[in-house]
Amino acid sequence: MTDLAQLLVLGLKSGAVYALVALGFTLIHSATGAINFAQGEFFMLGGVLATAFTTAGVSLLPAVVYAVVLTGAIGVVMELLAVRPLGDGNPLRIVLSSIGCSVLLKQIALHLYGPDERPLAPFSPGPSIRMLGVAFERQALWLWGLTALSLVLFALLFRYTMLGRALRAVAMDRDAARLSGIDARLMVTMIFGVAAALSALAGAAVTPMTQTAWDVGTRIGVKGFAGAILGGISSPATAVAGGLLLGILETLTAGLIDPLFKDMVALVVLLAVLVFRPAGLFASARKDRV
Amino acid sequence: MSRIRLNEPLLLAALIVLVLSAPLFRLDGYLLKLFTLTGINCIVVLGLALLFGYAGQVSMGHAAFLGIGAYVFAILTTRHSVSWGVAMLAAMTAAALAGLLLALPALRLSGHYLAMATLGFGELVSFAFTEAEPITGGVSGIIGIPAPQIGPFAVDTPEAAYWLIWITVALVTALLLFVRRSAFGRALRAVRMSEPGAIAAGVNVTLIKVIAFVASAGIAGIAGGLFAGTMRYISPSDFSVALSVTILAMTAIGGHDSLLGPIVSAIVIGLLPSIDALIPGLSREFSQYVQSYQADVYGVALILIVIFLPGGFGSLRMRRRGRSA
Repeated sequence: MTDLAQLLVLGLKSGAVYALVALGFTLIHSATGAINFAQGEFFMLGGVLATAFTTAGVSLLPAVVYAVVLTGAIGVVMELLAVRPLGDGNPLRIVLSSIGCSVLLKQIALHLYGPDERPLAPFSPGPSIRMLGVAFERQALWLWGLTALSLVLFALLFRYTMLGRALRAVAMDRDAARLSGIDARLMVTMIFGVAAALSALAGAAVTPMTQTAWDVGTRIGVKGFAGAILGGISSPATAVAGGLLLGILETLTAGLIDPLFKDMVALVVLLAVLVFRPAGLFASARKDRV
Repeated sequence: MSRIRLNEPLLLAALIVLVLSAPLFRLDGYLLKLFTLTGINCIVVLGLALLFGYAGQVSMGHAAFLGIGAYVFAILTTRHSVSWGVAMLAAMTAAALAGLLLALPALRLSGHYLAMATLGFGELVSFAFTEAEPITGGVSGIIGIPAPQIGPFAVDTPEAAYWLIWITVALVTALLLFVRRSAFGRALRAVRMSEPGAIAAGVNVTLIKVIAFVASAGIAGIAGGLFAGTMRYISPSDFSVALSVTILAMTAIGGHDSLLGPIVSAIVIGLLPSIDALIPGLSREFSQYVQSYQADVYGVALILIVIFLPGGFGSLRMRRRGRSA
């Protein structure tokens, strides 16, 4: 029983990462109708930039904040330079352009910081905390705390502020939003910034446990997307739930069947959901945007 | 429009005659090998041109299909002494089947899901090549793959390998030119230009897309078999996810509806890292510099093309002629 609980805890650790990345996918998908193939690179940048700032002598927590903010800014720049010029025509062009951005962001990280794995100190050092026979890594607690905090802030922003309403309006129907006087293009730019910052936060918070490198983004991108599809890409809440569930499915597979299959889970889930329940497990009957 | 259609095959034929005559100029072994590899890339890119350029679908996993073809060919010929032709057929079939497994679920919805599924598939396959050591030889790969034997001719010299590859490029090009003029080709274009329009015109969009994807994967499988048979040695690093993205970038920069565009872009981008061997006087250091920035070049090129020239370079020539005609 405690073994199973321990597996669940492990699963929620990677699940929190997938949840934040999945949220980024959902936001950009609903705003543009396209999948952002550079989403995983934002995750990579969060970790790599945080390590770069600490190496440059910045202390840990400011380094994480700088990395998240800077990655958000990179998301904004990416939208301005590589997405906005495309207009709101064919989503395929955004997909291709984001693939180009993904290549470029990876290369920039490689040129600036080299090919080696980069470590980051845990936010609060110390041994794992044991509760009810289950070990919790301190860094995992940080990861969950930060994930929960950013989700709550995001939900409040999205639901109750004027800006949030405008963002939601654009995500629902860009043309109608524009007709009611919302600057839809500005909103899309902001959505890219928020989506990038959320993934960067996941990247920075998980790096003390996993290390990071210039090429970690692709895999996390695929998994975050699989999480979003599993829960339902049409709403932020279902995408987050899907990300958490994917993390649990992965560790259950690794723990109960064979660790070798862990990385297969995301792909199997992605294909299976597309066959059996394309709107996602938790989506309501209404089928929008899929 | 008929004048445009006539011209590309002529240009393609001229290009391929030129390329096929290259060994007559007594190139050294390194250059021949380099051009042979470029030819293999051209085959994969042509296969992707069928999917992306004709039908408008994105695959980020074509290196995986190349790898599946290569490993099936290598395993069958080295361990089970299967003949060259049968192994090649198996390589193509295996890659096509893998493509079918991915495409059937993913293509029921938007093509973007397929793109993401192919990316995950590519990661998984390259992981499998490394980890399934008893079958694939792990990181050290498979060595001593026998050269193809076509009737009495063994394709075991650099010149022979070069010709085999580029003749295949010519055959695949001819096949795709034929496809473009067929009803299937028109259906593919209809799918790319407007899916609702294609559906309204009675095209079974999902079926067309699945066929295009499976054919495209099968062509990559052929290229994989040829890769194994001409390089005689394969390892997991030959089929990385990065290569898939390179191949997609080559195809997209080359353009829609064009074969010349993707071939030229595959040749140019593919030869970029070895620029010192082609242009005398350039230092090895300069070439290494170019090599480390190759991905930057096609990354930026891809973004610029998508913004300023959505049809790719292949559309340039057509557009100009279209206007003057």
